[in-house]
Amino acid sequence: MRRNGLLLVAVTLAVALLIYAGVRLSRLPRDTDSMFSQKAVAVGSVAPDFELTSLEGKSLKLSDFRGRAVLVNFWATWCGPCKIEMPWFVELNQKYGPQGLTILGIAMDDSGQAAIAKFAKEMRVNYPILLGKEKVGDAYGGVPGLPTTFYIDRNGKVQDRVVGIVGRSEIETQIKKALASVPATTASDATDGDDHGTNRQ
Amino acid sequence: MIMGPIGSDAALLEKLAVFGTPVESRKSAGWVMKNCCLGLIFVLFPAGLWASDDFVSVVSASAVTVAAGKPGTASLRFRVQNGYHINSNHPKSDLLIPTRLKLNPPTDIGVGSVTYPAGRNISLSFAPTEKLNVYSGDFNVNAVVSAVRGASPGHYAVHGELAYQACDDRACYPPKKLPVSIAVTVVKSRIAGTRQLNPGQSPHIHN
Repeated sequence: MRRNGLLLVAVTLAVALLIYAGVRLSRLPRDTDSMFSQKAVAVGSVAPDFELTSLEGKSLKLSDFRGRAVLVNFWATWCGPCKIEMPWFVELNQKYGPQGLTILGIAMDDSGQAAIAKFAKEMRVNYPILLGKEKVGDAYGGVPGLPTTFYIDRNGKVQDRVVGIVGRSEIETQIKKALASVPATTASDATDGDDHGTNRQ
Repeated sequence: MIMGPIGSDAALLEKLAVFGTPVESRKSAGWVMKNCCLGLIFVLFPAGLWASDDFVSVVSASAVTVAAGKPGTASLRFRVQNGYHINSNHPKSDLLIPTRLKLNPPTDIGVGSVTYPAGRNISLSFAPTEKLNVYSGDFNVNAVVSAVRGASPGHYAVHGELAYQACDDRACYPPKKLPVSIAVTVVKSRIAGTRQLNPGQSPHIHN
């Protein structure tokens, strides 16, 4: 009886300590994909369209860029890692823009348009900076942390989503993959063309 | 969402010490079962408190006793979760959001200067050349609290919030506000200006 009691105490302690350790470990920085809410746009699904105003006062829609590979980057002026990524985006925009890449920076900032514009100018940003709205952030999963980047293929589908800074090479790999996607209309045209060719024969 | 005071590891060990008592000295299996359950509660309760999305929690907020017309110092101890840091009160860039304690005292209670600790200079892997000034682990913020002359003796609560913005080594998270509360007891002044109440608790009293 006494032995059973000791065993029970030991097992209970072990279980309790495992739970305790598990909870503590769970507070460490997390796997980024698990940070998105369940309502977040999933990889492979169509990226929610949005309409936001750029620093220049133009209204831009995501759907305006259908057929192009789009990198949507949520950022803020107070976000250190975002600042590191921006020069990479500037270079990648120069390199891949002519091949069909569009980079959209969405500022999730309360610091105001002037401060955002000043920051973007200092960073020599050469892609549109849009003034973010909570509604857009929510549509993309609440944007759990910054930077959060969505890679959208030429069909408007989410190819991948990443919270936090990653290496420049990883970003470039994602961009190349998005650029390699074939727009549905083009694919359809190509099929139609083949059919015409077949008919002609 | 809001976390209350968290049991420290030492407190937790103290709670667990019940298991260190020789089982031989116990009389029944019922006692063992009862204490196992109690132990689980003691262990899981603080763990449950940690299961919050907040990056910072209040560890303790010292109660302050002041005489009417006299100041005292309240000390708030905060804990930043493992793996995260928050900007100090003086981050190295105007763009960064500083940690700030804002207190809203009730009538009859005043709040004076708030003192923040010096931050720690760090560089993160994504920007090894860039220095940040941050708080991580535990840190204290002190606030001078006073009761106006003529304040009625009694218990008061000074509510407020700690505004902070957390990051880890890869990402930054939206600014947050952590509610805080300081219990202030106002007592009658014996002879105004001749005695500071609770000096041990208030080492930095400014007259």
